[in-house]
Formats: sequence, structure tokens, C-alpha cells
Amino acid sequence: MTGAEFEGVDLDLLADYVGGALLGTPDEERVASLIADDPAWHAAFDELAPAMAAVGTTLLDLPPEPMPEGLAARLDAMFRPVPAGAPGESAEPVPAKVLDLAEHRRRRWASWAKPVAVAAGVLAFAGFGLTRFSSQSADDAQSTAAGSSVADAEGAPMVDTSLAQILHTDTDYGRASLGMPGAAEAGSPHVFTDPAAPGEENAAGKSALSPLFASNVLLDCLDMIARENAGGPLSVALVDYARFEGAPALIVQFTAANGGWTWAVGPDCGTRGAGAAALHKVPVR
Amino acid sequence: MHYIAGVTFREVSAGVAGAGETAPTDAELIRAHVDGDTGAFAELVRRHRDRLWAVALRTVGDREEAADAVQDALLNAHRNAARFRGDSAVTTWLHRIVVNACLDRIRRRQAHPTVPLPDGSHSDDRPTGPEPAAPLPDQDTVLVVRDALAALPTEQRAAIVLVDVQGYPVAEAAEMLGVAEGTVKSRCARGRARMAISLGYLRGGPGQAGNRGGRGSVPSESAAVVPLPNGHDRRDQR
Repeated sequence: MTGAEFEGVDLDLLADYVGGALLGTPDEERVASLIADDPAWHAAFDELAPAMAAVGTTLLDLPPEPMPEGLAARLDAMFRPVPAGAPGESAEPVPAKVLDLAEHRRRRWASWAKPVAVAAGVLAFAGFGLTRFSSQSADDAQSTAAGSSVADAEGAPMVDTSLAQILHTDTDYGRASLGMPGAAEAGSPHVFTDPAAPGEENAAGKSALSPLFASNVLLDCLDMIARENAGGPLSVALVDYARFEGAPALIVQFTAANGGWTWAVGPDCGTRGAGAAALHKVPVR
Repeated sequence: MHYIAGVTFREVSAGVAGAGETAPTDAELIRAHVDGDTGAFAELVRRHRDRLWAVALRTVGDREEAADAVQDALLNAHRNAARFRGDSAVTTWLHRIVVNACLDRIRRRQAHPTVPLPDGSHSDDRPTGPEPAAPLPDQDTVLVVRDALAALPTEQRAAIVLVDVQGYPVAEAAEMLGVAEGTVKSRCARGRARMAISLGYLRGGPGQAGNRGGRGSVPSESAAVVPLPNGHDRRDQR
């Protein structure tokens, strides 16, 4: 602590006294004596006590910070009960490990699109933390350079994936199970990776989806979903590289102004002329 | 409405039962989870997530780090719920896990400094990125106070977040932090004193001329010793 203006006074000790940390200790009486007998300590006490009280009041007045809806939705998805009959529900539905989003963000800056292998053999969450704006930032300039850039004309973010869960389950969803994406992801072990760097388990069935492993293509796809959904910006909760009724499909769960949805889209999603290539969509309650 | 282990209940704050319906206690939810009820832990999370988030966000000061810390902590709690022996309240146990996850992240950040991000540099200890606060009439004051809080040493910040910001009693904060009550009092007191200086709340202090937000003017009269909150004025709790 600086406190240079209180020469000869141990401000930490005085703060302890003011805060009641010395109650019942020998130092309590010693500091009380110093305050009573030493003008410097007396003056410092006169200033510090009300100032500390003012700080306490100020801290108590800080506004509450409710959990962001995206994170709350992700936690709900992580811990929700496994519905009976969900495909591949034989294993623990809650992931054992999560990808460190903050660390991932830093790595992205250090090495764009460098593969991030996570917790081999276990399920992982991979948030790649991209938010697309029409006025491009340095962050996603690269991603839009290669794609047909689509974004909200008013400059609002169209897609927020900062809290998205990225899965590679290869689950074969049907119309009934589409409303519960990710529920079956632990049925078999996978190595989950950054969407730009598919793991080696992504073989035959995944090859059709491989264009969507690239972040810029995936973002184009999500942008198309946002446009076709017509519910304003999307907050993406989950992306699953999987199948729908036997065909390779990207399963996207999101919330928008028109509610929560799960879409199954084809491998052409986001490419010019294909739009979102939606195969099926169901509301999520 | 949720249905867990055959018990119908509404979303309620811990310990507050809805009229005519039974709200399981936190301890009952933990037991149900350990016994295999797959919905119990989700309900527990829903019940406490806002407070856990607030603690994490204020402690690490970065939304992504806080999200990771909360997620890590809750997965940890989910896996290790069977080890919860009921020596403390469930919410205390959850907070302790979250606080430890936050402190671990801060320590890792200190041990492994990273390349500053283009969107803002950060030191190894202080929060890394913008922490947008909810709109307030006096946003400047909030930002100044937040910065002063972020500048505190980690241990002092964690104690102040629990006691002074979240309003937990010192005894409960001590359990959450795994330290003695006196240590919590000392960390809070020293942190408050540091903030008093940095915010210019002291007459003749370095920030007096710029007592931003117009708060915290120091009374001319001497004040009585100011105890730390005892929990009666706790807000946003249970």
C-alpha cells in the first residue's frame, strides 16, 4: 500500500484494526494506544475509518451481474437429464473436460487455425469464440476473405459463437432426436478439435462435412442460418458434426429472437447458392 | 416446472418453498444427484448460477475466463458430489470450488504470461479483458470502482468480492476461501484501505482531486470503527 501521506503509520495494521481483524489479539490494544497517543496514528485513523466505510458502501452498490444467457444455456445443456431413448445414451452425458475458451482465444491470436487437440479420448467443449460483424475486425478479416461475406447490414453481430459447444459425435439424428442434440455424444470416444482442424476420427462419414471444419466456412453457414431463420442475431449453443437420417449433417442449436431452435443442415450450408441447406428444423423448448 | 426424483417443485431460491409445493433443499438435490437422479444437479446449478457467475466474474475480471472457471468448477462439483459430506452448506461448497477455479486460473496466468491480445493488454494478475457491466446511471463510477478492485492483490480481491460485493458473512467467506475468519477480515480491510487510497477517498490522498463519481467524500468528523458486514445486509442471497 502506498499511504505515503501517513508517515510513521502502518496502514495495513491500521486497516486491520478498522476492519476488526485485530479483535481479541494483543495488537488490538497496541493499535488503540497508538491511535490515542500518537497524533499521526490518530489523524490516519480519522481518515481511514470513514474512507473504508465509503468503499464498503460503494462496493455494495455495484450492479448485479446475472449469468449471460448463453452460458446458462450451455450449463443447462451440460447437466440436463438424458432423455430416455436418446441415441447412444449409454454413457455419462456430462463431459469430463472442457476446452479453455480464454486460452483458446489467446492461441487463436498466436496461431490462427492451429489445431487444438483436447483431452484425447474424452468429450470436450470447443468454443471458438467468433462473433461476426459486418464491419470486419482484424479477427475475422481472414475468414471473410475467402467466403461470401454475409452479415447484418446494420453492423450488429449476426452470430455469436463465443459460448458454443462444438461436438463431433457422428450421431445419426432423426426427427425425434433432433431436439436434443449433444445428448448422446458420449456414446463413443472421440477426439474433439478446433473446427478448423478435424481429428483423425473424422473419416468417411465426416469427409462430406470437412469443408465446414474451416472456421470461415462454418461462420458463413451460421450466417446463412441466421438469415433464413429471420429471428435476428444467433447465439449458438451447440454445433455437432453428425448425421441426419443417415446423411452427413451439421446440427446447430441456437437461440434467437424467435426462440430456441435446432437445425440440421447439409454439407453445402453457407456455400453460394445453397443458403443454409436446411434439412430439418425443430424448436427447442 | 421440473420433476426430479418424483418430487414436483418450482424454481425457487434455496430454502424458499412455493405454496403447496415442496422445494428440495440443496442438500437433497446433491443426494439425489449422487443417487443417480440426472436432473438434480441441473436444478442445483440453475438455483445458484447467477451468484457463482458474479463471484467468478468479479474475481477473474474477464468474461471468458469466468465462464471457463464456472464451467470447470461445476463439472468438478458434478463429478465429486459424492465427496460432499455436508459439513458446510452446499452453496458454500459450490462457491469454494468456483473460487478455487478462479484463483487457479489467476495463478496459471501469473506463471505463464501470454502474448497480449490485440483488443487490450493485461498484466499477469489483473483481469484481462473488458468486463461490461450492467447499465447504470453512473457508469463512470462503476468502471472506476471496478478498476480499483481489479488492481488489488488477488487474495484481497477474492475476499472483498465475497464479503463486500456479494455480501456473504465473513465466516462463510472464510469457508469458501479455506482460510481463517481473521484472515478474511484482514484481507478485506487491507483491500478496502487500498481502494480508499486509489479511489481518492482519503483527504489529501492521491486521488482526491479526481474523486470521480462524486462518491466517498470523507466526513470531517471522526468515525467509529467500521465492522465488516455480518451478513444481515447481504443482498441477492438465497
